[in-house]
Amino acid sequence: MTVVELKGLSKRYGKTIAADGMDLRVEEGEYICILGPTGAGKTTALKMIAGLIDPDSGKILFDGKDYTRVEPEAREAALLSQVYSLFPHLDVNGNVIYGPRIRGWEFQQAQDIVDNMLEMVHLNRRKDALPRELSGGMQQRTALARALASGSKVILLDEPLRALDARLRIELRREIRSLVKALGITAIHVTHDQEEAMVIADRVAVMRYGKVVQVGTPKEVFDTPVSPFVANFVGQSNFFKGRLVSNGDYTVVENDMGINVKARPCQLPVGSEVIVAIKVGNTQLRTEEGFFLGRVERILYEGVTIHIDVMANGKLFSAKLPNRKYEEFSPGDEVVVGWSPDEATVFPMPEQGLEEELRLE
Amino acid sequence: MPMSLTKRIDDLSSRRDIRSGWFGIITLFFLAFIILPTVYVLIFGIMDFQNLSNMVLDDPEVMSLVWGAVFTSFSLALIVTIIDLIVGIPMAWIMVRKQFRGKKLLDTLIDMPLAFPTAALGFSIGIFWGLPVEAPVPPGALGIVASPYILIMLLHIIFTYPYMVRSLSAILEQIDQSYEEAGMTLGASRMTAARTITLPLFRAGLITGFILCFARSLSETGGTFIALITVGQADKFFTGPTLIAALKNDLVLGTTDVEAVLAVVSIILIITAIIFLLIIKFVLGRVGVPFDKVWPRWERVLSRGAVPKAKDVVSFVWLFAIVIIPSFFIFAYLLVPSPADMDWSGLLDALAYSFMVAGVVTLADIVLGVPLALYIARHKDKKLAQAVDSLVNIPLIVPTTALGFSLALFWTTQGLVTNLTVLVIMAHIAFTYPLVVRNVAGAVMEVDPSYEEAARTLGAKPFATFRTVLFPIVRSAVLAGAILAFTRSLGETGATVAVSPDANTVPVYIIGLMNTGDYYLAAVSAMVLIMVSFVFMFGLRYVIRREGGTY
Repeated sequence: MTVVELKGLSKRYGKTIAADGMDLRVEEGEYICILGPTGAGKTTALKMIAGLIDPDSGKILFDGKDYTRVEPEAREAALLSQVYSLFPHLDVNGNVIYGPRIRGWEFQQAQDIVDNMLEMVHLNRRKDALPRELSGGMQQRTALARALASGSKVILLDEPLRALDARLRIELRREIRSLVKALGITAIHVTHDQEEAMVIADRVAVMRYGKVVQVGTPKEVFDTPVSPFVANFVGQSNFFKGRLVSNGDYTVVENDMGINVKARPCQLPVGSEVIVAIKVGNTQLRTEEGFFLGRVERILYEGVTIHIDVMANGKLFSAKLPNRKYEEFSPGDEVVVGWSPDEATVFPMPEQGLEEELRLE
Repeated sequence: MPMSLTKRIDDLSSRRDIRSGWFGIITLFFLAFIILPTVYVLIFGIMDFQNLSNMVLDDPEVMSLVWGAVFTSFSLALIVTIIDLIVGIPMAWIMVRKQFRGKKLLDTLIDMPLAFPTAALGFSIGIFWGLPVEAPVPPGALGIVASPYILIMLLHIIFTYPYMVRSLSAILEQIDQSYEEAGMTLGASRMTAARTITLPLFRAGLITGFILCFARSLSETGGTFIALITVGQADKFFTGPTLIAALKNDLVLGTTDVEAVLAVVSIILIITAIIFLLIIKFVLGRVGVPFDKVWPRWERVLSRGAVPKAKDVVSFVWLFAIVIIPSFFIFAYLLVPSPADMDWSGLLDALAYSFMVAGVVTLADIVLGVPLALYIARHKDKKLAQAVDSLVNIPLIVPTTALGFSLALFWTTQGLVTNLTVLVIMAHIAFTYPLVVRNVAGAVMEVDPSYEEAARTLGAKPFATFRTVLFPIVRSAVLAGAILAFTRSLGETGATVAVSPDANTVPVYIIGLMNTGDYYLAAVSAMVLIMVSFVFMFGLRYVIRREGGTY
């Protein structure tokens, strides 16, 4: 219902930079996830959109209108925090009707909306319960119902599933998405969990050091990351440093072990220092036909997948394989490491070096 | 229509300029009406130094009186605080770490002295321990303390005791017992574990308790003055505050310029109080206690057998013999036959006046204190808020007699306020205001700001957020602050006397009765004052019990 735009948003706390010229455009009715490591400035960004923190510079536009200095209550952007913040002195009904009541809606109309909303989150039987009498999942649903019942056109979700256990998290993220989509509300959801972001969002905005580094569909950010950081943060990757040998149908890079490996074509000049990244899930271990030899170090049985660490020329590589392959490998085995060239991405060497580029904090 | 009024305030609160303006006004009120009058006498002293110097500072006889009184105050406060610390630690331990029948009763008993107006307490102590000159002595009085110094020490120990035990147990409750248990599984005896692990952790509680007891003892006027009157020493033995009271009641130095002496005493008390408390904060915060030294054998012996039991027994005996029984002794007056002609009208007038003052004071504290508390608690990153946060403590550590004198001087010399009642009310606001601000600010700081943020994003304007979300959550703290302010105002003597001994509050009325020898009526008045305070204190406990720990 509302297009939200951030233009060059910056915010500093002393020496800490929480937002550093952040740009983002969220389309009408879109569900976007802001994904980033702890300390990337995700929550600050969300609170600036909500109007709870004033940016030092930059603009926030709602439907093209400048909302940068508009008070939170006038933005119609409800915040759902990771601690839910259910008002402790009000019961479930009192919490959910808070928004309609404070906006002065007619009582019966407000109560109808609340009843409807409570039904949608399966809490109509717990209307009279106080927040502390509810389980974590129910508290989460109440907070969601409260945010959605307030008539807001934008919902801001700050790590809404963080405090829940794994099973409930998976169940609730499906529910949140379908509810938000059913109401057609624009949603901005902040998380550090890449799996959550991938399954819940229409588009993912990867954030780091107060900047949005890549925006795209889950498939785009996973398959065609714009930097080694994104390649590693959205689905773990194996990396090589090397020198670009030739460009053609595919790119050939001579890596730091002196071996030529192949990757997707790129625009970088021959001879430049580059990084090659291959998702661990796309790294294959075969008996022949690969780029180099390695020795199996350890095998972890993860359930649906198995994780294998391979030592080659003193460097460790990882691969994720389906669990039916578990019997095929044992520690000490010699294997050939390979991948299909169109699943490997070439990046220019980051100025600050690869280790710094991959750092999470 | 009340609805439209709140709605109008809601709308106004949504504007940033109005919000900052409002907080500006509140801060200005605080600085101009609380802080400046409280310390005005210092400015007065600098401006009028020549005169003070001629009249007072160069007069060795007067100065020896002044310094003697100030020294008595400080040595008393120090001794009393150290004794409180020694008996307070085991008591706090019992209250927090032990479960036993009658714990609730014990909890109530410890708070008892807080419910006693000190004026009533002073009377009770004077007749129980001391050797009264004229007052009829009820049966059961001990009458064994001839030294006024020891008498006052016994009095101060009583009303500072709850502050120490409460401060210590508040911190002790925050310290998880598992630390101590871990220490014991690593081979420490119970006492070694408590001393080397828990004690260093509650240094903050020690400092708070120390400062509260010290400041309270330094500041107390009414009880001390009345105890001294009872034993006929009010014109011979002085603490800083009772010297001011004695001067105001024309008991000493008939010929000298009383105002100048009052100014000098007030200045010395304010400056030394602030310096001394800064030193305490600094020294106790920095100096290490040799916690890491251990004497395993001795501490093991002390941890076993009869020693811990003996320690608990001593704690209980102290509570009853030193704190509770002497406090309640005044009720023994019910056994003394009453004189035939009793005139109640004076007491009723004084009660009405006291209630009026305390009521107005409490209302002003709430209306003007809650916004300042919000400002302090919600703008912790702002320099001004941090400064205000520290300044709020000043009226708490300045002796109330000095505060009352300074405040009256400020408003009368400028000719701005001459009405006696208004001055008394302003003085009472000055020393009760911090109680409300501290209580409410403390409670608001405990509340996660995300409640208010959630309310704002759901469409609530700032004032509506306060009305519908924050206030319901901190309501009991506001009420607690209000009742505290009310009872403190009701029982206050020093500030009232310093403004004028003609202000007819109940404690001042009691002093008047004692000066004219009406001891029986004074005792009855004291008992009535105790009952009234009790009703409010128990109301407070009920409120806190019912509301506390709900969220």
